[in-house]
Amino acid sequence: MNSRALLAEVLVRRLYIVVLVASAWVLLRGHNAPGGGFIGGLLAVAATAAYALTFDATRALQRLPLGPLRLAALGVLVSLISGLPALLQNLPFLTHLWFTLPLGFTELPLSTVMLFDLGVYLCVWGALGGYCLALVRAIEPEP
Amino acid sequence: MQPQELNATTTAAAHTTMLPLVLIPATLFALLLYVLFTVALPWTFSSPWIPSLGIDFRVQVDGLAAQFLLLITGIGTLVFVYGAGYLKGDPKRMRVFVLLLLFMAAMIGAVISDHLIVLFVFWELTSVLSFLLVGTHHEEESNRKSAQQALLVTGLGGLFLLAGFILLSEIGGTYSIQQLIARTATLPDDARLPAALALIFVGAFTKSAQFPFHFWLPNAMAAPTPVSAYLHSATLVKLGIYLLARLDAAFSDLPFWEVTLVSVGTLTAVGAAIQTVRERDLKRILAWSTVATLGTLTMLVGLPGNGAALAVATLFFAHALYKAPLFFVAGNLDHGAGTRIIDQLTGMRRYMPWTAAAALLAAFSMAGLPLSFGFVAKDALTIAKAEADVFMLVSYATVFVSGVSVAVAAIAAIHIFWGRDTIPREVHPHEAPLNMLLPPLVLVALALVFGLAPTLVDPLLGAAAHAIAPGFDTAAVDAAYDAGPVITATLSALVLGIGIYLGWDRLHALLDRVRVFDNVGPESWYWRKLKFLPRLAAWQTRRLQHGLLPRYLLVLVGSVTLAMLALLWIAQPVWIWPAWHTLTWPVAAACVLIASAAIATLFMRDHLVLLLVSGLVGYGSAILFLFTGAPDLAFTQFAVETVYVVVAAAVLVMLRRGGPLPNAAQPEARLRPFALAVALAFGAMLTALVLYTAGLPFDAALSDFFGAQSLSAAHGRNVVNVIIVDFRGIDTLGEISVLLFALLAALPLLRLAHAARGRVT
Repeated sequence: MNSRALLAEVLVRRLYIVVLVASAWVLLRGHNAPGGGFIGGLLAVAATAAYALTFDATRALQRLPLGPLRLAALGVLVSLISGLPALLQNLPFLTHLWFTLPLGFTELPLSTVMLFDLGVYLCVWGALGGYCLALVRAIEPEP
Repeated sequence: MQPQELNATTTAAAHTTMLPLVLIPATLFALLLYVLFTVALPWTFSSPWIPSLGIDFRVQVDGLAAQFLLLITGIGTLVFVYGAGYLKGDPKRMRVFVLLLLFMAAMIGAVISDHLIVLFVFWELTSVLSFLLVGTHHEEESNRKSAQQALLVTGLGGLFLLAGFILLSEIGGTYSIQQLIARTATLPDDARLPAALALIFVGAFTKSAQFPFHFWLPNAMAAPTPVSAYLHSATLVKLGIYLLARLDAAFSDLPFWEVTLVSVGTLTAVGAAIQTVRERDLKRILAWSTVATLGTLTMLVGLPGNGAALAVATLFFAHALYKAPLFFVAGNLDHGAGTRIIDQLTGMRRYMPWTAAAALLAAFSMAGLPLSFGFVAKDALTIAKAEADVFMLVSYATVFVSGVSVAVAAIAAIHIFWGRDTIPREVHPHEAPLNMLLPPLVLVALALVFGLAPTLVDPLLGAAAHAIAPGFDTAAVDAAYDAGPVITATLSALVLGIGIYLGWDRLHALLDRVRVFDNVGPESWYWRKLKFLPRLAAWQTRRLQHGLLPRYLLVLVGSVTLAMLALLWIAQPVWIWPAWHTLTWPVAAACVLIASAAIATLFMRDHLVLLLVSGLVGYGSAILFLFTGAPDLAFTQFAVETVYVVVAAAVLVMLRRGGPLPNAAQPEARLRPFALAVALAFGAMLTALVLYTAGLPFDAALSDFFGAQSLSAAHGRNVVNVIIVDFRGIDTLGEISVLLFALLAALPLLRLAHAARGRVT
């Protein structure tokens, strides 16, 4: 925007990180409480959209970990890969496996489900975020 | 400097020879021969492919398949040798060779598979590859049209074939061809059988260029000559006959089978023989005579009896051995003399002695003269006719077709190569290089050897005949042999042929004037239909795709309402009125919010306000979900609604800077009463639907299963998430792939919008 909204800029710059952390938290808790990859990904998209509207599409693009297309493709790839370990154990594709990682004081349950949901999260963020950015870029005023 | 360098590299590339690729078909051929001599037929192999659909990759190689495999790999080897010479320096030769290799693989797959669906897949692959090969030089429009025609005709036939296969397997209870053949004897009379066979006939007839689908084959001669020799003479077009021969063991007793095949085959053969005389281009002459042979083969498959089975096998083989060399000869003439028009080719023997020799020997076999392999085929044909006791009309027809064959052979061997070269030429024609001479010479030499000693190929032909007719018995055929009719048939064909040859020019002139072939034939029908399609598309685009959103909505919602009301009326639903006392305050509040926001949208004129108000409908639904036990859904709905409204509002604001926007979309004044009626009807329908659905018994099997298994089997307490990532993981994988592809499709469009705006400002 050519008329800068100072308050919004300060707010959104800090909020961006907060929302992303929240989205990660929503992603991780998803298996046992409301949340998951889709919702987490949507939150991340909201963060990206807010950034793009406050600053501009190019700067929002720079804050993404990867280009939107690559992000989405990586997501699909990660989800795809999460189904492969099952094949090694002669189980059908996408049968999720669980194991626990001993940490001494406690145990951390891990599973291929986590990987799958991460893929969903990345794909939603990349695809919808990328769409928003391209849309904003198409109509935003020239800098 | 630079252009020269560029030139040097292209010439270097032009000289890379494709000859090493010959090793692939040659190795396959050698391997096949070796295994044929060491392992007894039939060979079978089976491995599950798509078990959930009951599709196995079942392979069965019997005599018929083995004969085809020999032709595919053997002629394939020679075509590769020939093509390396013919396409030398052609920038597209790599493409042609790769496609030819793929085609060979598809042909092999089609003839060895015992599963109807697997066969169909390979069958369609050959159609597609044929399209690509015919369109090799697609810079010319006529080539593009020919390729398109070949694909449309054979591809459409393929769809019929698929329907026929599915119906046939429903009747027979199996997709395996061998099991089908074994079961037909005990199969009850099924009224659907003629329909299934008719569908399969359409598929086979389109592929093998039978009347009325024959016209694509001569047009397919737009392909480079090695391709024509391989696909449109030796292999691809025989696939339809192959399928009929393969099923002959199961259905040869049906009168429908015999009558259809004999009449269509005979009609095709006679029609094509007449068309042959109308052509002046050697390659098209050969193409029409190929159609005639294919017709004869179809007729033979239809004839009952042992002799017919043997005749099919022999004619298959003989035709490949003489027609492929003749195509090579046509290619050599093109290459050496620069033309294939028979008027401009006389006395070529002087310049191209080896090509002349190949043409002479191939013609010898094509004419069916004694001591040639073609004579053996004619023998078998005569026996078949005698045994099957055919109508006199069919008998006359085959004699006529043989006569035209003799005339074509004479044109190819005598008219072109003998006599004096009376045509003034600036450049003398030259002989073809060795790798374009070797393939035709090898084939005619083989035909010569087999003609002199037919016993050499007896085991192969016998095995093939056995596969076509399981009761095949060599002794019975030998016993039925009678030299008399064979000599009569040969003599009459010869006399007729010489007559046609001598009067070729006059006949040609006569037939050329008969325009009826061009105007009423199936081909003109094809062109008319092809022109009709774009007109239909344009008409429906004008009528339906007017670009007016209110009208689209009106049509869409109106038709959905009508369809649903009709269904509801048929279902005769029982109403269940809602139990009001279970309604909680939050749910009631959400409903009020949704309803009032929806009503408010009716009165908004400003885009931005309209957007925000409609966003309230979404928030209302989210609240509803939240209090009816679907927190995940509510969560998602909130997030989607927020992002959507914020981004869309921003877009609206930015667009406004470019000038005032027109008012929010409103139906034109005369449409408004309709719009009101449709909206009311839609609302009434939805209300009725909800009331009806609530009255249906609720099947809790799925939700009970997911609820019980979620924690114990999938280690998750959030059932919705467990369903998304685990129970229905594949669906989710598909959904996120769709998301990715949607972005792929949207990005170029949005970039285009970005670029267009840049130009305006």
